[in-house]
Amino acid sequence: MTRLSGQNLLLRGYVVLVFVFVFTPIVTSFVFSVNSDRFPTIPLGHFTTHWYETIFSDPDIWEAFRVSALVSISVAILATFIGFCTAYTDYRYNFTGKALYLSLALLPPTIPLVIMGLAMLALLARINMSGQIHSIVVSHVVLCAPFAMAVIRMRLAQINPDLEPAAWNLGASPWRAMREVIIPFCRPAIASAFCLTAAVSFDEFAVAWFVSGLNKTVPVMILEILQGNTDPQINAIGSIVFAISMSLVVIAQLIFFRKTSAPTTTGI
Amino acid sequence: MPIIIWQLVFFVFPLIFLVVISFWLVKNYRMVPGLDTVNWTKMYSKGYFWDTYWRTLAYAMIATITTTILAFPCSFALAFKVSATLRRWALFFLIVPFFTSYLVRIYSWQIFLNDNGIFNRLFQYIGLGPFQLLNNFFGTLVGYLTLCLPLVVVLQLISLANVDRNLIEAAHNLGCGRLKTVFLVIVPLAKIGIILGAVFTFILSFGDFVSPYYLGGSKPPTLSILIIDTTKSGQQWPRAAVVAVTMIVTLLVIMFASVSAAYRKKP
Amino acid sequence: MPNTSQARPLVSFEGVTKHYGTVAAVHAMDLDIFTGEFLALMGPSGCGKTTSLRMLAGLEEPTEGEIRLDGRRINEINSADRDTPMVWQSLALFPFLNVRQNVEFGLKMRKISPRDRQERAMRWLDRLEIADLAERDISQLSGGQRQRVALARSLVTEPRILLLDEPLSALDANLVVKMQGVLARLQKELGITFVYVTHSQSEAFAMSDRVVIMSQGRIEQIGSPKTIYRNPTSRFVADFVGSNNIFSGTISKEGATLQVNTPVGCFSCSPANDGNLFKTGSTLSMVVSADLVQISLTSPETANKVRCRFISEEFVGSIVTVFAELENGADFKVQVRQRDLADLGLKAGTVFYASWKATDVHLISESA
Repeated sequence: MTRLSGQNLLLRGYVVLVFVFVFTPIVTSFVFSVNSDRFPTIPLGHFTTHWYETIFSDPDIWEAFRVSALVSISVAILATFIGFCTAYTDYRYNFTGKALYLSLALLPPTIPLVIMGLAMLALLARINMSGQIHSIVVSHVVLCAPFAMAVIRMRLAQINPDLEPAAWNLGASPWRAMREVIIPFCRPAIASAFCLTAAVSFDEFAVAWFVSGLNKTVPVMILEILQGNTDPQINAIGSIVFAISMSLVVIAQLIFFRKTSAPTTTGI
Repeated sequence: MPIIIWQLVFFVFPLIFLVVISFWLVKNYRMVPGLDTVNWTKMYSKGYFWDTYWRTLAYAMIATITTTILAFPCSFALAFKVSATLRRWALFFLIVPFFTSYLVRIYSWQIFLNDNGIFNRLFQYIGLGPFQLLNNFFGTLVGYLTLCLPLVVVLQLISLANVDRNLIEAAHNLGCGRLKTVFLVIVPLAKIGIILGAVFTFILSFGDFVSPYYLGGSKPPTLSILIIDTTKSGQQWPRAAVVAVTMIVTLLVIMFASVSAAYRKKP
Repeated sequence: MPNTSQARPLVSFEGVTKHYGTVAAVHAMDLDIFTGEFLALMGPSGCGKTTSLRMLAGLEEPTEGEIRLDGRRINEINSADRDTPMVWQSLALFPFLNVRQNVEFGLKMRKISPRDRQERAMRWLDRLEIADLAERDISQLSGGQRQRVALARSLVTEPRILLLDEPLSALDANLVVKMQGVLARLQKELGITFVYVTHSQSEAFAMSDRVVIMSQGRIEQIGSPKTIYRNPTSRFVADFVGSNNIFSGTISKEGATLQVNTPVGCFSCSPANDGNLFKTGSTLSMVVSADLVQISLTSPETANKVRCRFISEEFVGSIVTVFAELENGADFKVQVRQRDLADLGLKAGTVFYASWKATDVHLISESA
């Protein structure tokens, strides 16, 4: 047990401070989305749902949410699939150039989004593929697949390495073994990866802004509104966006940690 | 395997294409293929390009150092001073904001940092200020912290939590004071997590445009803002490509150097 | 005891070699395994026993040589297509399936209908006395119960050969003894071939008809447990199996009773194996099993005796192993009954005499 010395108290207080810093913008958004004043500041005005009503009656915003939903789900499906294949390949095989293969698979999050957006736009415009929903999907899958891969790979690290050969030994072909053993075992990780990639895609705006043209996703729409001036609608939209992505991430984590054995390799 | 094809087509190829178009020309607002280094020479000869380059580099450096230092007491406390259950919950809640909309969070900060924003109003109440918190580097830095702090805490935390407690006790046992132990024993052992966190901060802040744009006033610009401006006005994609390629090369060099430093065995 | 002079073995390894990089895990191995026998592969870590088992199961492919099942070469056949189910050291039970589903797995792969599958699985669960656990989750079972599930899962397809890779290594000591009984009985009832890998001498000897001792990728000796115990054919086997005192020596007189010159004295030997094989001057290893040695405080009348100094004893129950030192500093072991030892009252440093009969000596020629 930790002794409550002054030092420990100080450190714990610091942790609280950090959390306050991290969550303040989120909480603010919720608070001011129901605040009556146009310009969010203190003292607060009165409680109102006016801003939510405004955005719910705006067809552009509904359209943006529709596009976002479509994109996120498509991305989630594709990215989880690709992430699974990569994770399994890493788990099962050892081949020359594996390091190169892995770095390629994991590189995307390290390239600044602005650059990715530019590169994607340049290429897709050239082959007349930009400005469509599938252009966003394609770019996002590249970005999100590493996350799916990481989550599924973590789960695969927990599997008893004898399970797959045991299935072969009992008469299962490699494909059958994957279907009967690997996938059921990874199910929580796959579900988790799905939620996570959907969340990442849902919030991603830089690349989407470059590539989406007239088919705007919600973050792109926010970006455009922001180009103007402070608009209280953003708080309302923002709150909804926060609610959606946070739920997705919370679900992803709950699925992963409840359904899998607690990893004992880390000190966490 | 399908992934290699997908990655090659949609990831490597666009980037290579970027390098390619940096050699193209723009005529009448359209790109024309060619092999001309005019974009490169033009860009590199411009004073403001190099100003922006070094400025962005400096910003990223400051962000990296600030974030690493500010994150450390927090990750340290979470690794050593709280129960395992609390630690898991903390991790859980740190991961959540990382995946939520960066954009909206930045907007929220505007509310706080504005001249008429919450902070200044509070300062007014106690007779201070008003302070210029927005449209300067301070704002940008707050933005960078918002982006990177959770991630850095998580990465540092994972490394710190894996430090063998026996080694710490051995150090104490041999007469090393508590604070000294932190710097002489714990930090070197958690080297990988700390460096990884710093590398990610650098990458993210180097390439970010939202914070400098919305909280930093966008002037003077960073490289990312330069790319956006160059693209928006005049469709000067080749020039933007030059900036982008320069950025990528810089990042690759930094990443390679840091990762080697992180994993290098002591002689 | 199965008839090992059958016309054709069930399984044969012919010149099988397995390389991992430059290291040979198994080297030019020739082995015949017969229908209905319980065969143990035994040896220290790294001797190649598990590699051989895995090659038989189809999980590794031999670098050279041939493995035949029923006369047919099976080198290239997939593990899935051979009928060589294995009981794994980690048991490898599928955690997302319950007991019955685990046992049915092999049948499911063979496209047996769900009803037939269930019926056959239940029959085997019944036979292994765990039928009431059929719908349970694997995580709810004890070690012994899991063992039985693993066994049922492998046997449900009614194979002709069962492979076992140190399956008892994770069990408590008392469970091990119980499971040994179960395995031995099961094998006799079913009449199928069991190939059992272990590093434990007691396991191998307790259950098997024949034991294969391996070292560094090669077979050292094959034989029944008793043969290997009493008549090791190489120094390695004499060292590895049982509790033996081994002396290097040369023959100073040949004949029905030999005289062997060793660093600690000259001894008479009338070995059971043909003494005429050993010529004067040839070098050999003289093996005296610790349990064939008598201890006395005074020098006995027998020809073969040595003076020892008592060092320590290891008490494992009714038998005690006495560790002593000879005059030249070499180690010497004696196994006596605890009761007899108590009468002697030996303490550290006490000098006593160890003696043995000339007929109780085993000789191994140096070329072995």
